[in-house]
Amino acid sequence: MAIHKSLFASLLICLLFQISHGATKERLFSDLEKGALEVTAKPSREGVLDAGIDKLSITWKLSSTATKEAEFTTIKVKLCYAPVSQVDRPWRKTENELFKDKSCPHKIITRAYDKSPQSFEYTLERDIPTGTYFVRAYAVDAKDHEVAFGQSTNEAKSTNLFSVQAISGRHKSLDIASVCFSVFSVLALLVFFVNEKRKAKIEQSK
Amino acid sequence: MAPNHSNENGSIGSSLHGVTAREQIFSFSVEDGPSSQAIRSDDPTAKFALPVDSEHRAKVFKPLSFAKPHMRAFHLGWISFFTCFISTFAAAPLVPVIRDNLDLTKTDIGNAGVASVSGAIFSRLAMGAVCDLLGARYGTAFSLMLSAPAVFSMSFVADAGSYLAVRFMIGFCLATFVSCQYWTSVMFTGKIIGLVNGCAGGWGDMGGGVTQLLMPMVFHVIKLTGATPFTAWRFAFFIPGFLQIIMGILVLTLGQDLPDGNLSTLQKSGQVSKDKFSKVFWFAVKNYRTWILFVLYGFSMGVELTINNVISGYFYDRFNLTLHTAGIVAASFGMANFFARPFGGYASDVAARLFGMRGRLWTLWILQTVGALFCIWLGRASSLPIAILAMMLFSVGTQAACGALFGVAPFVSRRSLGLISGLTGAGGNFGSGVTQLLFFSSSRFSTAEGLSLMGVMAVVCTIPVAFIHFPQWGSMFLRPSQHEERSKEEHYYGGEWTEEEKSLGLHEGSIKFAENSRSERGRKAVLADIPTPETGSPAHV
Repeated sequence: MAIHKSLFASLLICLLFQISHGATKERLFSDLEKGALEVTAKPSREGVLDAGIDKLSITWKLSSTATKEAEFTTIKVKLCYAPVSQVDRPWRKTENELFKDKSCPHKIITRAYDKSPQSFEYTLERDIPTGTYFVRAYAVDAKDHEVAFGQSTNEAKSTNLFSVQAISGRHKSLDIASVCFSVFSVLALLVFFVNEKRKAKIEQSK
Repeated sequence: MAPNHSNENGSIGSSLHGVTAREQIFSFSVEDGPSSQAIRSDDPTAKFALPVDSEHRAKVFKPLSFAKPHMRAFHLGWISFFTCFISTFAAAPLVPVIRDNLDLTKTDIGNAGVASVSGAIFSRLAMGAVCDLLGARYGTAFSLMLSAPAVFSMSFVADAGSYLAVRFMIGFCLATFVSCQYWTSVMFTGKIIGLVNGCAGGWGDMGGGVTQLLMPMVFHVIKLTGATPFTAWRFAFFIPGFLQIIMGILVLTLGQDLPDGNLSTLQKSGQVSKDKFSKVFWFAVKNYRTWILFVLYGFSMGVELTINNVISGYFYDRFNLTLHTAGIVAASFGMANFFARPFGGYASDVAARLFGMRGRLWTLWILQTVGALFCIWLGRASSLPIAILAMMLFSVGTQAACGALFGVAPFVSRRSLGLISGLTGAGGNFGSGVTQLLFFSSSRFSTAEGLSLMGVMAVVCTIPVAFIHFPQWGSMFLRPSQHEERSKEEHYYGGEWTEEEKSLGLHEGSIKFAENSRSERGRKAVLADIPTPETGSPAHV
């Protein structure tokens, strides 16, 4: 019975996924208009930036070569991995199908499209992993489909990259609690062991 | 003194031969009849809550009871093992967060996965010896309470190297598998051991599924209190750590090593003789069946352990599920253990009732091969519903095979029971390490290809079960030996003791076991075993 229930439940879940994904399946990155926006991302200081502390100064404006401007409703700005941070990490892979693409997972800001040049001061979030990045801005239409984009680096993704160092996530209080519980565990075991050996010896000498 | 006299006069149980044969024909839940109590009026079996055999092992399995000592040992054993599974695979559902915190590559993650199951290869071997020498309670408690510090030390991890080291050390606690199976094997009789070991092993293995749900949930709750993801996952590890300490204390205070008492007390009072480790080790290693089971378990349990490490990430990455949903799917793999492994043990017991040990061996081969075929299918499935279906069928087949294997293992040796459980268990981890290393640690194969190749390797490595042969019971393709001496169980189990040891009476436990194991001859042989007076006039019946 349990297997029937779990099979049925899983089939239901899967059907739901199929329905939700159906509409976005065929949209490709290569269909988007390249360089429609001019994007710059300037780090607040030289060297490797610290997540949670350092900032990026991001600007974007319409490029003179853009053609699909009439469709732009929203601009979605994202932090993307440079190729060097994708090596041996298939969960950050660049895919042509937009819904499968995993190279730009970190959202910076979403704003309604404005003809005038825009800017934003972005503080690197504390859950940004260590890596090398660039910034990309997608222009999205009213149906929430991407139509064009612009990025702070060149097409080969080799210029204007910046590096981020993640927070460690460690805390002194956590470390101390960890040591305390570990010591307790070993001590408790030793106490039981020694106690029982002693009791058995007493029994034998009786 | 000729050695085969021990089979005839004076050895415990031989005077009850007629009664014993009759007991085996009827349902295994019939109580130990009044005849044995008439012979031994000071029969200590009267004090047990469950009916027991001549070794005081329970003949009935009542999962809802907590009666001392049998059922209590069962519950403490499987829950301890369950807790260790939670700890060992606690990292797997959190890998998408951990890999960002520690900047891990696929190779790092794969290697840590290999490390997480490798530690147990050695600890499972050691545990077999520890159980034989110190008893199952201390085996379990050592495992739980000495590896709890490793679980807590996840809060210190800062890079791939330390992550791998900590997962390696946590993995040592999987030795509780051996202590759990050893504990049930000394508490329950041979006829139901398949089912009991299947339940204990299966419900313990469920921990690998529960952790895929538990850890993301704990992580989420900790994040709600305001912690960043990179701190929250470290704190989440405190939960498995606490569970281990609590279980360790419960085992030591509520458990009992043997039906008659604790090992240290029994040894000091002379009721249980201390065996020499070198002998125990030698007889385990010398027996070729041990090594076949080692390989077999490597591709049933080994495959299961590997899946526990990779399946959540597989569904997360390939089918674009959220962490939470991938955890649910991965959990259903592990949770199938609840009924799949006991089912395998039960199927093994039923096959034994009908066809004896040969039935057990065939059951094992069929279940494991079918499971592996579904694993091949899982790797090739490109749509989510088919992948989930293939995964569920694969989980049932493989986990039932694990249960069926431990229906066979207790009969391979009596003297070295603990060490053989240990070696077989180690084989499971070894197989997992090998499959993770070959198929999931590099970018050579995609995870999907790795799954299919692992299934193929499992099919091939299940074939050796055809070579397991017991002279007294036969094998998959050969009948039992017709030889006068070799066809007796006493000869097989007595063969583990030297003449000198036999003359000292050290082998009596094995002889008792041999008699109780006559049920492995199956239905036909048991009927033939009835002494001739039964076929005579009905008045004698």
